[in-house]
Amino acid sequence: MTGSVAERVRALLLLAGRDIADPGARSVLAAALRRLDEPLRVAIAGKVKAGKSTLLNAMVGEELAPTDAGECTRIVTWYRDGPAYRVVVRLTGGAAEQRPFDRRSGALRVDLGHRAEDVDRLDVEVPSRRLREHTLVDTPGLASISADVSVRTLAFLGADEEHTAQADAVVYLLRHMHSTDIRFLEAFGGDDLARGSPVNAVGVLSRADEIGGCRPDAMRTAAAVAARYQADDRLRRLCPIIVPVAGLLGAAGATLREEDFRTLQAVAAAPTADVVASLLTADRFVGARPVAGLSEAARARVLDRLGLFGVRLGVQLIRDGTAPSADAMAHELTVRSGLNRLLEILATQFIGRSEVLKARSALATLDAVLRDGRHDAGDDLAARAEQIRAGAHEFVEIRLLHLVSSGRLAGEPERLAEMERLLGGSGAGPAARLAQPAGAPAEALLEEAGRTLARWRRIAEHPLTGREMRTAARAAVRTCEGLLEDLRRPAPGR
Amino acid sequence: MAPSATVTRSLAELGEVRRMAGEAGRPDLVARLDEIRDRLTAVDVPVAVVGEFKQGKSTLINALLRTEVCPADADVVTAVPTIVRFGTPPSVTAYVADDGETPTTVAVPFEQVRDFVAERRCGPGVRTVEVRLDRKLLRTGMSLIDTPGVGGLDSAHGNLTLGMLPMARAALFVTDAAQELTEPELEFLRRIVRGCPSVVCVVTKTDLHAHWRRIVDLNRRHLARAGLDLPMPAVSSFLRLHAGATGDDALNEESGFPELLRVLAAEVLAGADAATAAATDRDVAFVLSQLREQVAVERTVARRPEAAEELAERLAEKAQRSRRLATGSASWQVALSDGIQDLAVRVDQDLRERLRSMQRRGEELIELGDPKDTRADFEAWAAKEATSVAVDNLFTLVARADDLAKEVAERFDIEYEGLDVDLPGHDTGLASVRAPRWREEKTASRFLGAFTSARLAAGGVVVAHAAGSLLGTAFLGPVGAVAGLLIGRRLMNVERVRQIEHRRQLARQELRRYVDEVGFVVGNDSRDAVRRAQRHLRDEFTARALLAEKSSTQALSAVRRAGAAPAAQRQSQVRDLDARWRDLDRAGDRLTRSGGDT
Repeated sequence: MTGSVAERVRALLLLAGRDIADPGARSVLAAALRRLDEPLRVAIAGKVKAGKSTLLNAMVGEELAPTDAGECTRIVTWYRDGPAYRVVVRLTGGAAEQRPFDRRSGALRVDLGHRAEDVDRLDVEVPSRRLREHTLVDTPGLASISADVSVRTLAFLGADEEHTAQADAVVYLLRHMHSTDIRFLEAFGGDDLARGSPVNAVGVLSRADEIGGCRPDAMRTAAAVAARYQADDRLRRLCPIIVPVAGLLGAAGATLREEDFRTLQAVAAAPTADVVASLLTADRFVGARPVAGLSEAARARVLDRLGLFGVRLGVQLIRDGTAPSADAMAHELTVRSGLNRLLEILATQFIGRSEVLKARSALATLDAVLRDGRHDAGDDLAARAEQIRAGAHEFVEIRLLHLVSSGRLAGEPERLAEMERLLGGSGAGPAARLAQPAGAPAEALLEEAGRTLARWRRIAEHPLTGREMRTAARAAVRTCEGLLEDLRRPAPGR
Repeated sequence: MAPSATVTRSLAELGEVRRMAGEAGRPDLVARLDEIRDRLTAVDVPVAVVGEFKQGKSTLINALLRTEVCPADADVVTAVPTIVRFGTPPSVTAYVADDGETPTTVAVPFEQVRDFVAERRCGPGVRTVEVRLDRKLLRTGMSLIDTPGVGGLDSAHGNLTLGMLPMARAALFVTDAAQELTEPELEFLRRIVRGCPSVVCVVTKTDLHAHWRRIVDLNRRHLARAGLDLPMPAVSSFLRLHAGATGDDALNEESGFPELLRVLAAEVLAGADAATAAATDRDVAFVLSQLREQVAVERTVARRPEAAEELAERLAEKAQRSRRLATGSASWQVALSDGIQDLAVRVDQDLRERLRSMQRRGEELIELGDPKDTRADFEAWAAKEATSVAVDNLFTLVARADDLAKEVAERFDIEYEGLDVDLPGHDTGLASVRAPRWREEKTASRFLGAFTSARLAAGGVVVAHAAGSLLGTAFLGPVGAVAGLLIGRRLMNVERVRQIEHRRQLARQELRRYVDEVGFVVGNDSRDAVRRAQRHLRDEFTARALLAEKSSTQALSAVRRAGAAPAAQRQSQVRDLDARWRDLDRAGDRLTRSGGDT
């Protein structure tokens, strides 16, 4: 068998499309086939009011999803790259209809034309470079259901590792919560739309700027909280990486206007005592009392867009000279929001692995089709799917990674950590896998790959290595061989 | 502690009646009134501050008292309940108890409070920390209880907080302006409204969120939908503390705290005072009725000596019947012992049903996954369910004990009414005295005063784990004990077992053992509580029966004395008795009026 895993899955889907007669199943398969060529689908999931829409705006770098103090997103909305702004309403019956919208207040206000209950989802096309690599899916927040959620969440994760899901990867938003809270893991209680596993999920400690009363050290406190979460055994099994992100700051950084900057500048230029007094509370900043000769509307606007923490930070950045221009300010806000780190993780964890993740989703869809109906060629197709799963090293890797990250492979912690990295747990590139600095010379990587290969070979062949670890070590050997092969092959264009 | 106007008024009334009881030669009634007075002045108004993790509970208390008494931190969370009450000089005491032992007290220096209440710092045995401070707000008798945010509302800790609520006079439910009320928060509110007489919903952190007014508005709508009508002041603890530091009154006004304090005074303090004062007034009214009867009889005899013989006969009979009222054969006694048996059975049944349901749901959960993976969460689930069983069972017990107390009081009331002596007719002097209204209050509630005030009085004491009166120890007892039980003991070893089915089998066994243990602890405690309730009700009503008997015998001897007195002396006696009668009448009127106010 040859060809990349994506090619093999594509071939299988084509075969299935030919062999299966049922029209419903055929259209499902056709959709799965199309999906292989589309950008990776990343769902943003979490509890209500976790800041999903704000984060989405920050990630796209444009004010798209409407945000509000009250519960706001009620319909699943897909944001994808397209030639022009366009909104299509997809109804539960299957019909689709283009609908008008307006952007007077910045965010998209769609005239649904139907009752919200009848709408399956909204498809929003946006001409955006940032949506080229992945499509973002904004979801309505999960409400609390019952207390045994976290037990079920964990139980469910142990039960199946591959399942049909409309999203290929998930960003989970967590609010600051106590880890002994029985509802702590609720954010992960996804449905068919967004269900992650350690290989395709990343956690975000959201609204990080509000932790600890919007004081200047909020982001540092948030980092400490995120680090503690990451050390939590249960969380590690659900998503191994958790980063703090101040979505509002990120969105402000991406969409900062010159006039907003001038507003901040005017505030910063006031005498220190006035600055302190006006930034004491949100009410004072936007209230009737004049602040630096600014209109109430201008102040309300900048507070809405940056939040109290953002305004305080912005004023401070201007006063200490860090951000003398709107561009510099936008840059600083983005850096401090933690957004870059999230995008970086998305790139290494998801985009770098998108072929495999998409192939995985496609196979899961095929499984569901085969499970649901009686098809003549069913057994044969299932066998072929199984062959790809068992044979393609990418799948072996991802399964093993899942096993290691969820803590279900026994072994010495250091050895497991090395294996996790080798399998692409902290990035799919060779340097990340070999724990070398990014941009390390190919010779150094080759040398390290050779050493790693020898080490894992020893483990795989050692008579005292347990059965599970032996299998895992063999897979690691295979990964090393693949790395060596890639490194020896002269890179195209270099 | 400075008593409020309501309490001062009740105290004055009580003093007046006590003087009259002394003049009437009734040391037993005087003693009774002294007891009532002690209860009235010892009133403590515990206010529990509850809410989700990180909503600003500790900071709210600090801001209320304008002092950094409760450690507040951006990340670290309060893990031990802290009670802040009046006291000079200021002191901090930690109650430390290892499993099942009686707590010992440890004096804590002020700067080390954090080490005793903050998560990851406090030792395992610390149960509560008591802080005594001299602040104006605390002088009113109010004490503030900072409850742990660990584990959230829907957890074992949340249930412990709930279990504390029947002792609290009020609850401040804290939710921040970052977000409208969530479903678990609403559910918790529904439950505390059941267990606590007065609930205030406080929206905090208004300084950080420009849209806090919208949030308050949305919250109001959520409450209305849930059928709850609660005051909802919005505050900024930060501003209040800042105002305190800078001495800026305008800032304090802006912080919203003056409004919160007003709500506290109107809803909580006044409510508590009114409840205690009303209970006291009922008790005083009973004493007054005893005095009136005696004076009425003496007066009749002084005016119409010829009726003396007939009256003496009736009073003798009444004394006898009163004695019967104090014995086991009285119908209220029968109602009490039947009722207690019924109560015990029902509470026990309630417990069994809850435990069965817990066991069933636990087994379903075990089936869902591999106990090895879900262990920690399963333990948390089990602790939550177990404490919830304890709390709900406790609420059932309290509600049913209240019902029983009412029923017994009604029976007692009927029998007591039956004791009334018909005074010989045609007495113009008596007929001109209009029947005081308070005698018309036939409802049993006039006898319930003691029961209610005992519950209130138990409050502060029990939080401190010092002693339990009446249902007292039951309030924290079983819930606290259940929270101490561990399900994990054998589950810890489960990882070694290889097969998942075997692990599930072990987990099921462990669950059964745990449920049994919970049943044992909760069952024992509720049986104790039932016994305490029985003893309390019996003692309370027996005491009244004895007082009534004493009144009858006292009246009897007065009648005999009066019958033998010479005519001239009788004239001055009539004048004296008329004066006393008028005094009693006025006292009765005052009690009725204040009763109408509350």
